[in-house]
Amino acid sequence: MLRLLGACCIIAGCGILGFSKGEQFRQRAEMLRCLQNGLNMLEADISYGSTPLPLALARVAEKVGGITQVPFAQAARLLKENNGLTAAEAWEEGVNKLDAEFTLTTEEKSILILFGQGLGCSAREEQIKNITLAREQLRMAELAAEEARNKNQRMWQVMGLCTGGAIVLMLI
Amino acid sequence: MTRLVIRKSLAEFAKEHEGMSEKAAARSVPPGSWLQMLPPGVRELTLQAAGPLLQELEEIRLRIGRPLLFRIGLQEYTVDHKGRPTGRLNEGYCVTRADLERTLQILSQSSLYAWEEELRNGFITIPGGHRIGITGRAVLDKGQVKTLKNISGLNFRISREIIGCSEEVLPYLIREGQVLHTLIVSAPQCGKTTLLRDLIRQLSNGNGALGWSGVNVGLVDERSEIAGMYLGEPQYDLGVRTDVLDACPKAEGMMMLIRSMSPRVIATDEIGRKEDVLAINHALQAGVSVLTTVHGSSYEELRQRPILQELLAWKFFDRLVFLSRRKGPGTLEAVLDGKTGERVK
Repeated sequence: MLRLLGACCIIAGCGILGFSKGEQFRQRAEMLRCLQNGLNMLEADISYGSTPLPLALARVAEKVGGITQVPFAQAARLLKENNGLTAAEAWEEGVNKLDAEFTLTTEEKSILILFGQGLGCSAREEQIKNITLAREQLRMAELAAEEARNKNQRMWQVMGLCTGGAIVLMLI
Repeated sequence: MTRLVIRKSLAEFAKEHEGMSEKAAARSVPPGSWLQMLPPGVRELTLQAAGPLLQELEEIRLRIGRPLLFRIGLQEYTVDHKGRPTGRLNEGYCVTRADLERTLQILSQSSLYAWEEELRNGFITIPGGHRIGITGRAVLDKGQVKTLKNISGLNFRISREIIGCSEEVLPYLIREGQVLHTLIVSAPQCGKTTLLRDLIRQLSNGNGALGWSGVNVGLVDERSEIAGMYLGEPQYDLGVRTDVLDACPKAEGMMMLIRSMSPRVIATDEIGRKEDVLAINHALQAGVSVLTTVHGSSYEELRQRPILQELLAWKFFDRLVFLSRRKGPGTLEAVLDGKTGERVK
């Protein structure tokens, strides 16, 4: 009875590890999609409302929620403090915070930081071009993340369960 | 002699600044002050250079690759890398492109796209009513300036409100319960706008000593300089009965106010275009008193300008108020009767 219980625990533990690894692939694709939604909202605020950046970023943070709100909320907070930071610096701080909470790939980080460098420092048309470019790059990154998810998510889930099974077989 | 005065003054600045640490300087910036609009490095240099004379500063100029300049009255000085004020401009701290770009980002809250109209006009008004003049490369669209890019210079014009500065002149501008049509004349930087602002406040609030109970005043602030409007809120006390039409062309604004707000007095600044004369004529027909300003230093000079010549010949203005800097900004030189040309003060 105890053996059976132990075996179940090992399989469940390894299965959870496999599933959580697989979940990360889903979350990455989801985060990239939410970032694009955030940029869509930012574009609307800049394009139609000419809303000042601190307010526009705060509004986007409120609407996107979850982990995706981190760079928007952090940049909005820093800009509102008016300590002499530029939008690029405030956004980079936000991206670093997101990176600390949800490890970004080098490519994702560079897309976001490059986007921040053009943030708020030019006329409306330029801002929209900058947002469109970042959104397009994030869409490509999302496609790659989706592909990786399709390829790896099921594999990690099965691998977790199989590894647990293999350990149990070895121990018996 | 002037040089001697400047040197003495600079020596005093330097003496007063000894021992003032950067931290102490940084701490002394009150929140919401115009100093917060400067990037941290330049802000510290400004605090160290201006120190106790901060309240006297009239202009700060930032030009790429050239020294940071401060102006108090007619005196200009710069600051060296150690924060010491100096009159030798070649020793001054040179403003960098990064300084300018950072200042612009702070001024615009990192939202240049939201300030396109202001950039087109060449200035931004910040909280407190101070105006920041901007120069750079103009971007044209169908022959009209669309915006500015490659910003090369900024001019912080620190404006001040002097409550009560119109006390001396106000009695000459009211007769039998009516405000007389008044033209304030002076060279630039002599206090025209400050005087006009205080006159508006007193005419709007009333003045017990003169038995004036206050009337509705309409202000057309074409250059956002008198009210210093920031997000729809005047940054100066303009009185309880004052309506402000901000950033609106004078002539059109005067007509709009007469139609919509039934003012007893209309105030505006810097008249000089043909359409201004038409609007003033319209105000006359509507029985509204006009309070306005113009650049100039003497009656003779005004008479040589075609548009003003017409207004003076027409004897529209009841009072002409002349200001100078002889004893500091806002020195009242004379008040003339516009009909007879006689001096009443």
